[in-house]
Amino acid sequence: MRALLDRTFREAGGRVIAALAASFRDLDLAEEAFAEACARAIERWGSAPPVDPAAWLYAVGRRWALDRLRRRITAAGYRPDVPAPPPTPEDQAMALDDPIPDERLRLIFVCCHPAMNAEARVALTLRTVCGLTTPQIAAAFLTPEPTLAQRLVRAKRKIAEAGVPFEVPGPDHWPERMDAVLSTLEIAYAQAHADAAGLGPNADLAVEVLGLTALLARLVSEDAEVQALAATVRFTEARRPARLAVDGTMIPLTLQDTTLWDTGLIAEADLYLARSAALSQASRTRPGPRALQAAIHGAHAGRRKTGVTPWAAILGIYNALLGLRDDPVIRTNRAVALAEVEGPESGLAALDLTPIPGWLPWHAARGDMLVRIGHDAEALHEFEAALALGPSAAEQRYLAACRDTSRSRLSPFSA
Amino acid sequence: MQYALLIYEPEAEAYPAGEADEAWHAILTAHTAFGGELAQAGAMRSGAGLKSARTATTVKVTPESRTVHDGPFAETREQLGGLYVIDVPDLDAAIAWAKKLPIAGTGSIEIRPTLGMPEDA
Repeated sequence: MRALLDRTFREAGGRVIAALAASFRDLDLAEEAFAEACARAIERWGSAPPVDPAAWLYAVGRRWALDRLRRRITAAGYRPDVPAPPPTPEDQAMALDDPIPDERLRLIFVCCHPAMNAEARVALTLRTVCGLTTPQIAAAFLTPEPTLAQRLVRAKRKIAEAGVPFEVPGPDHWPERMDAVLSTLEIAYAQAHADAAGLGPNADLAVEVLGLTALLARLVSEDAEVQALAATVRFTEARRPARLAVDGTMIPLTLQDTTLWDTGLIAEADLYLARSAALSQASRTRPGPRALQAAIHGAHAGRRKTGVTPWAAILGIYNALLGLRDDPVIRTNRAVALAEVEGPESGLAALDLTPIPGWLPWHAARGDMLVRIGHDAEALHEFEAALALGPSAAEQRYLAACRDTSRSRLSPFSA
Repeated sequence: MQYALLIYEPEAEAYPAGEADEAWHAILTAHTAFGGELAQAGAMRSGAGLKSARTATTVKVTPESRTVHDGPFAETREQLGGLYVIDVPDLDAAIAWAKKLPIAGTGSIEIRPTLGMPEDA
């Protein structure tokens, strides 16, 4: 029974907390009110939750918060505008199919305000918009719980004291603000995806990010970059079942067994990608960085049907992407595509144009290309450099296997 | 809400000739216009432009003593050059004004909510 209740609270949490926070413009009050409503639910619900548990929790939480505010105001001796008392939970749940206003978009913009510290944005969004608990977020980010709790407290205090507005920003602020929202979701997903083993808290986090990107894509249906991010996380998540060999070794994207990919997620991703492309075309704007990234994932996903990766097309997209966003990740990935199209020598030359020593993917890509041109001694050096950077267990197994292969080719009799 | 916009500029780079610099006069003109715009929007509360940090005197305080020193409180690349106090609905509005604020070259504008009067009902 308790497990059922917990799941109900969890599912309702994001919407209820967001609606309460938007109506009272106070995140702390919203969280307290939700916790209070859950406590009452445990007493009252008995053997079964009501038909619409979220509506019940919202109505009870709202009454509690109003009482709390009135007492505060009476104590302070003055009465500013307070919203009228809401109908009883039962009235409210009966009155409408969907009585809770969906304020999650507003809350996403509050939590991902560029004036907030980037780490705090992620934690706050997961807490307020997804309803994850502090221990759950701490586990996913490998952050000690007290540290995370403090970060949340500080962030909420800043929102209240610095006057961060509880509004969806106007069109003139849109590009900057939306970019902050999308990067927050990217950080959250990167965390969920970081470990190829991807079990436990990380897999849960991935589910939350899938949900958030779907929500955002629905609420902001005319933004090509928003649609593109929803596509990218789905293409990536679809590959989760194929990322590990039976022995726990990471399998790189191009060697994955495509029959293990999640076709349902790929189909969803294809739809978001198509919508993103259609929006760019309709507005006659060039695709943004996230649209290009989604297109690259889409091209990789195509291997499932054709059996081959369209490297020339992928290289073309990377070239376009490099024109928008010149960063080491894109340079390295472009070099990998170049190696497939023009040969490992070209790829290697591209990698060496802007060396990034101390960055694992750069060493791993360089090692791979050196192997392909028969320079095992140098390759061995790169794999060792990559291994020294403390990769995850799955990556570590993969890199160690690469290193051992190069080593045995160098001195076949010592292996 | 009231916010202070604190303007930090690398004085030596922005105005090599100090107050005799052309850039100095240009920025003063720009600030006059900016102040006018703030006033017209009903957002202006107060403000002050500061003379060069070369003119600064600092009183350093410890529990035991208060001693007078030449120069600004910290030797940094950017110095406090002036401030506005504005009254706007929220942080986004304050950010929008800060983005429009005249700066000679590079610089930073720190936005800080001011302390309200305690429960001024």
